[in-house]
Amino acid sequence: MANAEQNSEWEDFKAAARRPIEQHVRNSFIHTYKPVLDDAEYRSFDTMEEYRRWCKENLPDWLGYSRD
Amino acid sequence: MPTFEFKNAQELGRVFETHGVRYLFFGKSGAILLGYSDTTQDVDLYIEKRRENCERVAAGLLELGSRLTEQEQKEVRRGKAFIQLRNGPFDLDLIFAPDGVERFEDAWERRVERHGLPIANIEDIIGSKRAATRQRDRESLPRLLPFKFKNWLEKNK
Repeated sequence: MANAEQNSEWEDFKAAARRPIEQHVRNSFIHTYKPVLDDAEYRSFDTMEEYRRWCKENLPDWLGYSRD
Repeated sequence: MPTFEFKNAQELGRVFETHGVRYLFFGKSGAILLGYSDTTQDVDLYIEKRRENCERVAAGLLELGSRLTEQEQKEVRRGKAFIQLRNGPFDLDLIFAPDGVERFEDAWERRVERHGLPIANIEDIIGSKRAATRQRDRESLPRLLPFKFKNWLEKNK
């Protein structure tokens, strides 16, 4: 299973390398609305710790921004 | 919000070069510009936190079309640790002190120039994700590591 997954990733990487960079970027940057995170035009934090704490306290767990 | 396209990367590179900004494409967006195949939404830039450099970043962002208030411009000039921008031509995160990288200078020395853009070395991108230890970072590592190995093989064949 692990080998099959790895082979599939390898094929993905090879295919990506064959695409023009414009197409590769178009395929890779996809806008998906993230609740809370995307609801403000601007946020800033004095430390990364403060940012992590804000993520933990404000973002839904399923977004994956928590360290737990 | 328009999606980030390669022409946006080129425009950012041109504007930041004109202003003399020292920065690196970082995180998953940096890996994608190195050829990594995965998806993301925003662009991460690792910015050198020298006062003059932060001032140049603010000027560059305005030229790129970011709608920064006076207060926000002040914060960019100050180089706060992390700034999330959703008020410009594409989603952008400015990182002045990423996890897992001690000094900008070291990451700059190890950078890769690709498509005329300065991009953090895949080792630094992976190292930062390892140090951040968020769920989303932990999940991306099993795929980033084979990509790093592929890069290594190509360099050493």
